[in-house]
Amino acid sequence: MARALSTKSLVRWLAALLAALSLIGGLSLREPSRHPSSQQATAIFDGLAPVSAHAADAVSPPGAAVPAPPIGAAPGPSLLPASRPWDAVLIASFNIQVFGESKIAKPHVVEILARVVRQFDIVAIQEVRAKSDGVIPRFVDAVNADGSRYHWIIGPREGRTVSKEQYCFLYDMNRIEVDAGSIGVVPDPGGKLHRPPMHVRFRTRVVPESKAFTFWMVDIHTDPDEVPQEIDALVDVFTAMRTARPDEDDVILLGDLNAGPPQFGRFTKTPDVTWAVSGATTNTHRTKTYDNLIFDRRATTEYLGRWGVLDLQSTFGLPLDRALEVSDHNPVWGAFYPCESVGAPAASGGIAGVAQPVR
Amino acid sequence: MPDSTPSIAILIEQLSAPDAEARASAAEALCRAGESAMSAATALVAACADDHDGVREWAAAALEDLGAPPPEQIADLTAFAAAKHPLVAYWAVTLLGRGGEGASSAVPALEACLAPGTAIEVRQRACWALGKIGPAAASARAALTAAASDADPRLSRLAGEALAGLPG
Repeated sequence: MARALSTKSLVRWLAALLAALSLIGGLSLREPSRHPSSQQATAIFDGLAPVSAHAADAVSPPGAAVPAPPIGAAPGPSLLPASRPWDAVLIASFNIQVFGESKIAKPHVVEILARVVRQFDIVAIQEVRAKSDGVIPRFVDAVNADGSRYHWIIGPREGRTVSKEQYCFLYDMNRIEVDAGSIGVVPDPGGKLHRPPMHVRFRTRVVPESKAFTFWMVDIHTDPDEVPQEIDALVDVFTAMRTARPDEDDVILLGDLNAGPPQFGRFTKTPDVTWAVSGATTNTHRTKTYDNLIFDRRATTEYLGRWGVLDLQSTFGLPLDRALEVSDHNPVWGAFYPCESVGAPAASGGIAGVAQPVR
Repeated sequence: MPDSTPSIAILIEQLSAPDAEARASAAEALCRAGESAMSAATALVAACADDHDGVREWAAAALEDLGAPPPEQIADLTAFAAAKHPLVAYWAVTLLGRGGEGASSAVPALEACLAPGTAIEVRQRACWALGKIGPAAASARAALTAAASDADPRLSRLAGEALAGLPG
């Protein structure tokens, strides 16, 4: 939901930011770090290159009316559209278990992974584990082999041991652009998070810029041995991100939480915080709910109430052992309206234009 | 369709193969086996010292999902807690912590891991593991008290949490 800035609101925002920073103790936002791809991202953001002919089918015609978000959400998971619609941005999270040299060397696995990515506008990836920097560029080449125009942002190697992981965002440049100055890692001087989350701010580009939905994405992979403590720290991260910029209140925290909603702790007590995946398993064995997208339902009224788990076995006709070759996690996704919502009546007792979330 | 997956015992043996790719394949297969690879816990911890990146990465990933070790592996894991290789010690300590009270025989070894000079991630994990063992870790009180005043905030916090779980 967009925030209009006035002097009064700026003063209120500064006061809120100070209060938030004093509450979160060791967790505060630090200056974004720069990664090899961020310069390319700058070029994309500054240049706003014209949408290619390839993307013409995916975007709305110039001057098209922008309808209101639909009312009503699916009570359970939705089917993933056969092709990406212009009136929804599909955002996914995917833990690609040990995504490194051995996995990228398997063409049949890379083909499945590429087909997964092409179904979404943005994919937040966890568990890039490689000593070299070549895995993601090679993977993006495979994704783009069909003419797609995906690009990537990758974070630094993180972890307490020599076995480190990187977060990565893949996004369709025809439909999404990056706020290059927004790329960074949440500082964690208290060591509360094994792999401190990476944040990036995105903007849709399927509608005119003035109407485009903008939002933070915060990518996280928790330590399975310290889930309650890390979930608790993530509540503070989420709160801090909501006030990181005066003009942005949309925060989508997503990733492999190693926890399902019953383990969401303080998130469940935080007013208006909700999540997409509920009542469905997200691991490839179909036994656990580990992955999710968390956001504020009053702020992110762009959420369309549609979410799902892309089951690797059934989607690609794979037996379990072949699906596990791809990953031990299935991708999870949520659909968001590509236009920035201008606000919902706070006194309505509900959220105008979107369905109530399923808990 | 017959199950083409090699047995866990064969994969454990393959973790010691001369060929690095064979070892990496074994670690990956054990990772895919999930908790059913529990009998490979000690072998996977040992594999964390492998020279081959792929073996180490898959072994560490497999260990993430293993859960608590069976009692018969506690002694071997306790020995590995003193390993010079930090990744080996880290995972041995982690598994001991998952063992909770059942790993109480490892308390002296975990206490030794708290000594300054040990890799910080191992010291931190040892505090965590002692906290998981709970009251049975009372003999480590002095070492935990020292760790609680360490300058490293994570070590200090985890030591404090472990102390809070001790009696009296």
